[in-house]
Amino acid sequence: MELTITVNNREYTLEVDPKESLLFILRERLGLTGTKNGCSQGHCGACTIVLNGKAVKACLKKAKKINRANILTIEGISPEFPNKELHPIQEAFIQATAVQCGFCTSGLIMELFALLRENPSITEQGIKEALEGHLCRCTGYQPIFDASLLAQKMMRSKNSG
Amino acid sequence: MTEYQSIGKPIPRSDSREKVTGSALYVDDLRFPRMLYLKVLRAGVPHARIKSVDITKAELMEGVYKVISKDTEGLDKNLLFGTCIFDQPPLAVDKVRHAGEVVAAVIADSEKNALRAVKNIQVEFEELPHVLDPYEAIAAEAPLIHERNGQYKHLPTFVPVPDSNVFYKYHLKKGNDTEVFREADVIVEDEFEYPLMNHATIEPHGAVAYWDHAGDLHLWSSSQAPFVVREVLSDMFNLPMTKIHVNIPYLGGGFGGKSDYTIEPLLTLCARYVPGYHVKFRLTRKEVFIGTVLGRGLKGKMKIGAKKDGTLVGIEAQLYFSDGAYADTSCNVVLAAGHNCVGPYFFPNCNLQSFGIYTNTPPVGAMRGYGHPEGQFMIERLLEQLALKLGIDSHTLRRKNFLRPGDTNSLGQTISEHNGDVVECFNKMIEALTKNLLPNEDDQFFYGRGVAALVKSPVQASNAASCVFLKVNEDLTVNISIGGVEMGQGCLTVLAQIAAETLKIPVKDVRINYEINSQLTPYEWQSVASMTTMRVGNAILAACEKAVTQFKKNAALVFDCDISELSYDGKTVSRGSENIPLKDLVKGYQYEDGHAVGDPILSVGSSVVRDVTLPDLDTGQYQPYEWTFGAQGCDIRIDKTTGKIKVIHFVTALDVGKVINPDTARGQITGGVMMGIGAALKEKILFNKKGIMQTDNLRKYRIPTMTDMPEKFTCILVENPQPDGPYGARPIAEHPIIGAPPAILNAFQNATGISLLKLPISSERVLTALKQRS
Ligand code: FES
Ligand code: FES
Repeated sequence: MELTITVNNREYTLEVDPKESLLFILRERLGLTGTKNGCSQGHCGACTIVLNGKAVKACLKKAKKINRANILTIEGISPEFPNKELHPIQEAFIQATAVQCGFCTSGLIMELFALLRENPSITEQGIKEALEGHLCRCTGYQPIFDASLLAQKMMRSKNSG
Repeated sequence: MTEYQSIGKPIPRSDSREKVTGSALYVDDLRFPRMLYLKVLRAGVPHARIKSVDITKAELMEGVYKVISKDTEGLDKNLLFGTCIFDQPPLAVDKVRHAGEVVAAVIADSEKNALRAVKNIQVEFEELPHVLDPYEAIAAEAPLIHERNGQYKHLPTFVPVPDSNVFYKYHLKKGNDTEVFREADVIVEDEFEYPLMNHATIEPHGAVAYWDHAGDLHLWSSSQAPFVVREVLSDMFNLPMTKIHVNIPYLGGGFGGKSDYTIEPLLTLCARYVPGYHVKFRLTRKEVFIGTVLGRGLKGKMKIGAKKDGTLVGIEAQLYFSDGAYADTSCNVVLAAGHNCVGPYFFPNCNLQSFGIYTNTPPVGAMRGYGHPEGQFMIERLLEQLALKLGIDSHTLRRKNFLRPGDTNSLGQTISEHNGDVVECFNKMIEALTKNLLPNEDDQFFYGRGVAALVKSPVQASNAASCVFLKVNEDLTVNISIGGVEMGQGCLTVLAQIAAETLKIPVKDVRINYEINSQLTPYEWQSVASMTTMRVGNAILAACEKAVTQFKKNAALVFDCDISELSYDGKTVSRGSENIPLKDLVKGYQYEDGHAVGDPILSVGSSVVRDVTLPDLDTGQYQPYEWTFGAQGCDIRIDKTTGKIKVIHFVTALDVGKVINPDTARGQITGGVMMGIGAALKEKILFNKKGIMQTDNLRKYRIPTMTDMPEKFTCILVENPQPDGPYGARPIAEHPIIGAPPAILNAFQNATGISLLKLPISSERVLTALKQRS
């Protein structure tokens, strides 16, 4: 099938198998390897991207379901870094030492990106629930949780300032 | 106290920008010209003789370049690899010994085409009875998994028991080992279980192999052990090391699951049939479970005796490890568990036996903690029973028996001040834990508090070495090449701090080259045993000190003096009030008329483990490396209706020697504790009756998620310096996993009066136990 999608503000038209996953399209066809493949089964969250404003697992989205979709990946949230600033969520992950091996990181950042945009004042419990679907074997989650709160604070003060 | 510029500072991780922007490259992110893909056919039966493998149909399928099976021309059917016991073929030849074992492989132009061809390979098996349980595997009627057990080439320390499934029996004797309980007034004993587990790194294993037309082998792999892989491949292919290029990109977690070797022998063997092509082999999540290595898998008995006043007098234990189809990777785990199961306590008399046993599961290998969590789970649970029987508070019982300077551990080694202080760790842990009041039982919940202490020594080759190359660039920035692998633990940052401190320059001016290429990178044994900070750190320290001396030597030529008259401050070399900026010394010194003296700054450093010996075959005694002590404790809440356990507060106190980076150290603790919570409450590999793994994805094999996180973590870094550690640091990364399961089960017992001895205690098991009690 012919698929037209917008990824990180650039439109692509591709010839793909309708059963192909968005994860495969991003990584193997568009070379956007920042989105990670931890299971291809919807279990780990490493492949999370933002699709039409919502965080979704790219490994579960089939090509036939995403025609005309608007997609944002980790490569798209601070595309001009280091010429311009990092996104506050990225900055918070660095400051809170929420990155170890980094394999879960882009999925988590994209989840938070959608979450904090939709609900900037989400509760601590809300954050925990949203991140529940993301596995991280390295950090023990505490640093990721700390980073999430820090990101929320940074984004708030940015919006008010 | 010394004022440090970089040591002890929470420097942000040097790899974090790459990782938060998605630009850090992992093996599956690498792209090459002429790429092909490998997919494999796995046995699907746990124990069988292979009668035939028919690949004729598969060979003719679309996109297929090569199908490899036992009958493939040029395949050496006698090829076995390993590093301790050479018992493993890269591809099954006569038998399969676990259901995930590879019987045939297809190389094709896409994974899809490779997979299609794999499905068209026909294998005929003669199935054999299989065995998964270590007790059953040592019974007389058990099926023999390796008929040649005892005949394989092996290191002299790992002595197999021929005509049995026991590939290694370790026996440690200390004091009066035949009558260990002679002076005991009270004896307690129990039987324990630590199940098979999976490392569950979020990055699945992957590798790319490429044989070029000059006969060189290029490999990119998600490996913690590039130089072990190189050695194995060099042996396998009889290839000089100058023709093997092992490259390691960023790793998405290791925890021992990517140590030694996993998929590299098979992939390189297959890729050899298609020279000129880059062949990628990336495992599916299911393959990570069934086709790499597992961890733990202990069943065992322990018996301890004490005098009336609580003084421990003796310990006896038998540890049986179900180590899967191939032995190599687990030999040292069996050894470590054998002598470390005594925990950080003084026992004058020990009789400890540890058995490595072949079973029909994937091979069992290294896993964070390496034998220590298993054995110390037993002792820490059993001490709780002893305290009850003696009527002594369990904290007092522990304090009374902690290994103190001057005491000998199970191996007969004398503990000294510089090993750190378990009493201080324990006291600080208790102090932090008891700051919060433990609520009283109510209608909905039980509340419990439990503690454990821990000790660990790095288990490593007795000549394990780390080497580094250092160059100071013309702008005075520094590159240091290391063979240690950054797999998430943060070694790039911590090692840069060590270098910066020694060279007296800002951390930002140091780049630790993480790109490993075995042709260019100096030798490193492997990144395991929590030793990177210490061993590579010491190598860096040596290289930096040499660089400082070289700066001084250049300056000494200019000043025409002895280097002892000179001082170095990171900016200049000075003699009294005169100084020369480093910039003018870095390439040697050039006079105004153009002529130059001295040499560019370029140094090497190495650090080799010293005084580690091999176990004595009779007594089991040997000299391992140094020790790290710690203590852990927790408060838990047990839901009476759901059986769910929530950790309210988890405290870890580790004697880290000297903290290099408090943030990365804390990250090792929160991460390790969380893995321990997984072992305590959730994780267990299960097989069905047919010997097929049931928990083969991340839904069925449940690792902790964010809601399993304790409500509060406390991490206490005690600092009693290690004299031979860089700036006094000692290993800490695996340690936080050790005490978590026993602390949680002790808390459970204190809350409910029920003593559980098998891990994990899932909510179903908790509910059943509560029901049985009432
Ligand atoms: S790769 Fe999509 S959820 Fe794991
Ligand atoms: S940082 Fe390694 S999985 Fe999260």
